[in-house]
Amino acid sequence: MTAAAPTEEFARVPAEPAPAVPGPLPRLLPWLLIVGGGLGLLAAFTLTVERIVLLQDPTYQPSCSINLVLSCGSVMTTEQAEFFGFPNPLLGIGAYAVVVTTGVALLAGARFPTWYWIGLTAGSAAGVVFVHYLIVQSLYRIGALCPYCMVVWAVTIPIFWYSALAALDRSGGARALYAGLRQYHAVPVVLWFVAVIGLCLHRFWDYWSTLL
Amino acid sequence: MTRNVKISLAVVGAFALILAGLLFATRPDTPDTAPGGALAADTLAPAEAPRLNDNPGAPVTMVEFLDFECPSCAQIQPVMSQLVAQYGDRVEFVIRYFPLPNHSNAVPAAVAAEAAHRQDRFVPMYERVFQTQAEWAGSSDAAGIFRGYAEELGLDMAAYDAAVADPATLEAVNQAEEAGLAAGVQGTPTFFVNGEKLNPESVQDITDALDAAVNP
Repeated sequence: MTAAAPTEEFARVPAEPAPAVPGPLPRLLPWLLIVGGGLGLLAAFTLTVERIVLLQDPTYQPSCSINLVLSCGSVMTTEQAEFFGFPNPLLGIGAYAVVVTTGVALLAGARFPTWYWIGLTAGSAAGVVFVHYLIVQSLYRIGALCPYCMVVWAVTIPIFWYSALAALDRSGGARALYAGLRQYHAVPVVLWFVAVIGLCLHRFWDYWSTLL
Repeated sequence: MTRNVKISLAVVGAFALILAGLLFATRPDTPDTAPGGALAADTLAPAEAPRLNDNPGAPVTMVEFLDFECPSCAQIQPVMSQLVAQYGDRVEFVIRYFPLPNHSNAVPAAVAAEAAHRQDRFVPMYERVFQTQAEWAGSSDAAGIFRGYAEELGLDMAAYDAAVADPATLEAVNQAEEAGLAAGVQGTPTFFVNGEKLNPESVQDITDALDAAVNP
């Protein structure tokens, strides 16, 4: 190594290119999308199959009907389970396939433009809104919890949150807000989960306390 | 460890602590775990409460707290009929109303059933209301639908209308709910066999408890 101007060395370091995967968790995000989307896809697929079996044989006990509280048989046959006039999980089969594909593409090295991340965020935001409508219905109207549906609730929240952070990062907008969220990105998700789990516990407290 | 992880873990830890505290605090209060927690028969199953069968001298009393708009209660209704057929000679089946606040038609349904009960026609109304739950659960005129059932069941409509309008009918529903709350009922359906709360997870659990009670 010569004593040749170190300043020149520094100057030659190329400006770091924006990482292929935006957001606070560039390494984990593809896996979050693959695993989260995969679980959502599996749950939606199973619910669809159970619905078809239930149509063929109305006395069929779905595999997730464990007892009076944990029951998808009673949840599946409600009008809320066909919000748009067809079984909700059909939406999930389409939507979660896109999420998984996005994760796989990121692993393969794909770089998505800002508009793609905004699109993913918009789609998962619609999912989050719908899921929260279903949470309220399940807890306070139907009065039963459907385990496969809860898998969908659990994966939709982080998929939305981290897609939104990635979109915010990539778009370059609201830097101060993004810097704060980036530093504490997991806290809103944890609070969110605690709130939903708290509501489930509160609503069916009598049942849960009997499990001890 | 980053502050992100620390704060997240702190939130989870606080939640777990509060949860453990609540479980610990509420546990000794629940009548089913209290020693000698059997509740007095006249609070749980007073003479004026509706019955599914006519067996006042039965050695065993089973009480169900139900909400007519609760899907699980509707699911269990045929099971209850089966249990009455199977155990009715040894067990008295008592029904108490426990309308949950989030079911807007649960109170009108209980009032309709109570009005039928005053004509000794509780069981047909109870069966009808549960079997048609999907038709009236979200309706804005549930009371009108129930009146239609009363007519179809051949009830004395003058007496039915008077009973529905009588504040004492609603009061009977509220009293049942208060008795349930005092007995530690928090959801529906909740069952008591001889004053002991059951925590069934299957029909088998109910029949096991009844078998144990009838063959001590």
